[in-house]
Amino acid sequence: MSAVLQTAALLCTVGGLVGAALALAATRQLLVALGVLLDLLVAAGLLRLTGDPDLRALTTLAAVVLLRQLVSAGLRQGHRTAAGAEP
Amino acid sequence: MITATGWREELLSEESLRSWVDLLVRLVEAAGALIIFFGAALAFTRFISLTARRRREQEFTAVRLGLGRYLVLGLEFQLASDLLKTAVSPSYEDIGQLAAIAAIRTALNYFLGKEIAAERQELEAQEQADPGRGDPGRAVP
Repeated sequence: MSAVLQTAALLCTVGGLVGAALALAATRQLLVALGVLLDLLVAAGLLRLTGDPDLRALTTLAAVVLLRQLVSAGLRQGHRTAAGAEP
Repeated sequence: MITATGWREELLSEESLRSWVDLLVRLVEAAGALIIFFGAALAFTRFISLTARRRREQEFTAVRLGLGRYLVLGLEFQLASDLLKTAVSPSYEDIGQLAAIAAIRTALNYFLGKEIAAERQELEAQEQADPGRGDPGRAVP
């Protein structure tokens, strides 16, 4: 993978960590911060897939997308619970 | 002297086709990478803006939805480049490898798309339930 793509992927990863910290600071909700982190990690993973990807990059990205789905499902469940609890 | 047939053979030879297709593959891959990086950069600046203005969770979700769309579009470009790689006389090994990569990318595309649709529905349901919570000036990408 070229140096440019590696740098872009690294920037996305760092952006994900910083973005997650910002989201946690703003919302005080861990799942929201995790969602932000995982989204940018997916972006980094997709950048690493550009060109000639290896199996490790593919399976890592698949795992991150699966985690993202779990976090999003958790967020949606949280919203439903909160909506149901409201009078 | 090169005949008309010779020019045709020269232009459409496997080697020249392969080099043209390689160029197209690189261009399509570059476009996909640019889209993904642009979407990530845009989302990051919006996250900073939301944090500075102390916005709610739903607005973070809306920005994530926008990023998800950029990621799906970038994946489509990567799938297109996978298809292009099979254009010129691939070996069975090439095809097998590309099939595995394309299958995983297609699955990623499918799950990301489903998730984006579900989150969008959830966001719309929340806005309908409580229309006063959202910021009317908020731009949903």
